[in-house]
Amino acid sequence: MPRFSTFPRSVLAVGLVLAAGLSGCDHFTDPDGPNLTDRFGPFQLVEAVAADRATVDFAGGESVVFTAQFNKQTTWVLEIVGQESGAVRRIEGFSRELNADNARWSGRTTELPFFRPEDVVATLSFPDEPDANETTTQVSVQSARTYPGNVVTGFEQGDPGDIFLGNFEFDFDLSVTGVRTDPPAAEGNAFYRLRGTDATLNNFFVGLVRVTSQNANGYFTVPTAIPEDLYLNAFLRNFDAENTIIILEVVVDANGNGRFDNNDSIIGSGDIRLSEPGWTAFSRPISEFGLDEAQAQQIVAIRAVLISDNSAQPTPREPVDFGIDYITFTAGAPLEL
Amino acid sequence: MHRHLLHCGLALLVGLAPTAALAQDAEGGPPEEEEGPGVRFNGLGRAFIQETDLGGTLLDTDTTSAETLADGEFVLDLEVNAQPNRVTEVQGTIRLRNEFGGFFGSGVTVEVRELWARGVVANVIEYRLGDMDYALTPFTVYLPEADGDINPAEVFSPLREVVEYEKFYTGRNTRRFQGGSVDFGLDFDQAIQTLDIRSFIARLQPTNFQDTPTRLIGGGRVGLTSVPLGPTGAQARLGVNLASTWDDLDSGNANSGLRNHVLTLDGTLAILDGDGLAFSIVGEGGQSIAKTAEQVEGGGEDGGEDMQNVLLRERDTFFQIGAEANLKQTGVNAGLHFVNVGPDFFSTAAQSKRIDYTRALSQFNRIGNDRALRGAGLFDLSRDRGLYTTNTESTQLVAYDPRYNNVLPYGTATPNRRGVRLDADYMPEASAVQGGLLVALLQEIRGQGTEELKDFALVRAEADVAIGSLASLGRDIGASLGLQFESTSRGGNQFETVDLTSFLIEVGLSAEVYDRLDVLLGAKTRSSSGNDYVPQLENFNDVRDFPGRFVTDDSESLLGAGLRYRFRDDVFLTVQYQHYSYGDDATPADDYSLGQVFALYTMSF
Repeated sequence: MPRFSTFPRSVLAVGLVLAAGLSGCDHFTDPDGPNLTDRFGPFQLVEAVAADRATVDFAGGESVVFTAQFNKQTTWVLEIVGQESGAVRRIEGFSRELNADNARWSGRTTELPFFRPEDVVATLSFPDEPDANETTTQVSVQSARTYPGNVVTGFEQGDPGDIFLGNFEFDFDLSVTGVRTDPPAAEGNAFYRLRGTDATLNNFFVGLVRVTSQNANGYFTVPTAIPEDLYLNAFLRNFDAENTIIILEVVVDANGNGRFDNNDSIIGSGDIRLSEPGWTAFSRPISEFGLDEAQAQQIVAIRAVLISDNSAQPTPREPVDFGIDYITFTAGAPLEL
Repeated sequence: MHRHLLHCGLALLVGLAPTAALAQDAEGGPPEEEEGPGVRFNGLGRAFIQETDLGGTLLDTDTTSAETLADGEFVLDLEVNAQPNRVTEVQGTIRLRNEFGGFFGSGVTVEVRELWARGVVANVIEYRLGDMDYALTPFTVYLPEADGDINPAEVFSPLREVVEYEKFYTGRNTRRFQGGSVDFGLDFDQAIQTLDIRSFIARLQPTNFQDTPTRLIGGGRVGLTSVPLGPTGAQARLGVNLASTWDDLDSGNANSGLRNHVLTLDGTLAILDGDGLAFSIVGEGGQSIAKTAEQVEGGGEDGGEDMQNVLLRERDTFFQIGAEANLKQTGVNAGLHFVNVGPDFFSTAAQSKRIDYTRALSQFNRIGNDRALRGAGLFDLSRDRGLYTTNTESTQLVAYDPRYNNVLPYGTATPNRRGVRLDADYMPEASAVQGGLLVALLQEIRGQGTEELKDFALVRAEADVAIGSLASLGRDIGASLGLQFESTSRGGNQFETVDLTSFLIEVGLSAEVYDRLDVLLGAKTRSSSGNDYVPQLENFNDVRDFPGRFVTDDSESLLGAGLRYRFRDDVFLTVQYQHYSYGDDATPADDYSLGQVFALYTMSF
């Protein structure tokens, strides 16, 4: 290697300073990772699941903390089930206890419907511990959680004037179609059910329900006018009528008269097919309907259209059927359950 | 928090390891090229064709796996080396490759394999730009040895050399970087004889302009050698080493990245260097800092500057100190070292592995009716270049297989180890028998999932016997032997106990039966039994969880036989058959075997 012929002594000094900084050799020696005896030893429930309150007012901002203790870290599942609604909230974790950090319930739901004012039963189970027994506790919900957003309708007021059933071809089964309370609604007590058979005209169309704004200016109040941030949400119910197609439509006041009429712009969601049983949450930003910022502030009606997939229908055709509930607008994100 | 404190004085660090000097020699400079200015063409050509058959008990029920695979390749690496003058040299390697069975351009690739330039400025400063092979010390920048190889038989060497060539493994534990380096030295008149300075910077990974930032590594070494001291001519060599790996958070959209700094001091105190005996104290000590930094845009005091928050920080130390002796007349070298590497010591450029066990196997990756993933075995470790990595400087320790390497899975810098290590080799000049021995008795410093500590024992031995010269046969006939024994044990209750034992044995014979025609025979076998916990890691090297006991009672063997004709020293053709079998006592119905016949022609020019 080629070499300089001079000697910067400062280089040596720097080396000695660095050496002095390296003179310690201490280590943290607390055991690393979960305790093996805890992890793989036999399971014991030290303290059964309990709630820190017997009643809870979610609308008032209260929450419930569930507690329990075991002798080891393990996977646990706390499933809270509404005794009237059938709503399910599932909280999962891996720890040796349930506490305020990992088992606080603020009234949300995991599986629709929403919880109502009702009794709920919380069941704690341990999927990795086949010999462990489940443990339960009960809480009374005094008021359900209040979700953010602007509600178009929850169909709770029966069948008022802002709700119109379009039975233009007399295809609806009117013994079933309308505001219903059974099976349990996704939110509150009531939802709207549409059931019918495309038997009159072979045009796939069965009928629709239209909800118009009752505001003084004729437009729904929306939490934001930015189309990409404004979400239309609805809960849709599958009744196992497999040839059912749903189209949600946004009606924009095209002529500026501040009310719904046949000259308004109707923009659809495209075909919606429900595959999961029970209630499903639907959310889509208004921008995907093609609305601009001005149109987002001029929505006069929301329509839910029932379509029969006649291409797949047997002969004679079978009824098509779905339920809709809790139509809302939210800002920034889909409605969080 | 229980804290174990060892006070290690500065004197401890003034001893330190000889590997730095070896590593420094690893990076050659222009003086290696003694030829004058001009343009030269060198390179390598390779043709490889193989067919592999799947067999064994597994096939009695397996109706889905293909039973035969055949492939190959033709490779030409053309090196263009230009020296416009005696102090400047540039080289580029163009690769032409054709898959076996590729025709009319299909399967043909043309790529640049290597580009670099190097030279000397003002006859003082050496520099290199582009691709380079670099190493510092085993705790800073270093590529640990591969698993599954001790002293492999000659019959297995051709395929292993292909892997080494493809992955730029130099045999000197260097890492392949792309960047630049600058080296120079100083001579002194008093106290200090020489001072050598090396520095480098390289890019380990480019940004993808999304969640992966550019990762860089830089550092170097300042080494000095004292003048001979005292009547025995004792001489001290000291070095300060720095390896820093960091993510450039201004590249791409990633908002968090790695910071890993390792600073060490190594040295050798050559107490005696006589005609018959040399004796020295050697060692290395230092500290690592590993951090995960988050960049907050506009997070500065004035709201305009970006600010970096530290999300996670770990710091730990290590040292290694020992004595080495060289009995020059007998050719015996021996060293006894005490090592102490902290559980949180993290050096991403020294603790990586050559093998990535999470990668898919090139041949029969899934077997059986349930299409289960086949684990990497000796067959794959000896030839599957897809398993091997070039740069794996990652944000945490990579996976390892305890059956192949459970004692020092990350080489000398394996964290959470302390104990003694004995190295010895017998290598007299012109001797027909040479050998080496490594014995390590180590213990964990921090328990994993328990206060109990694991004890490790490692014995690794190798020997080469030149039978041809020993028996004066006039031909190259040699035998080789490799042996590795590993034991891991831990006491405690039934959930804490660990007991894992592995044997790896290699034997080989190479015999020149006719002029330049060799018969090659070799065998390699491994067996493991017992159990251990292999933790899932997070935060550099912290245990996140134990997925369950790792239980094994399996064995495997690789047998090879073939012919090799050496046209010249660098040009040969070998035709071989290798048979591999794997069996696990717990699942005898899944035992399988692989038989491979191949022809490999290699030409270096």
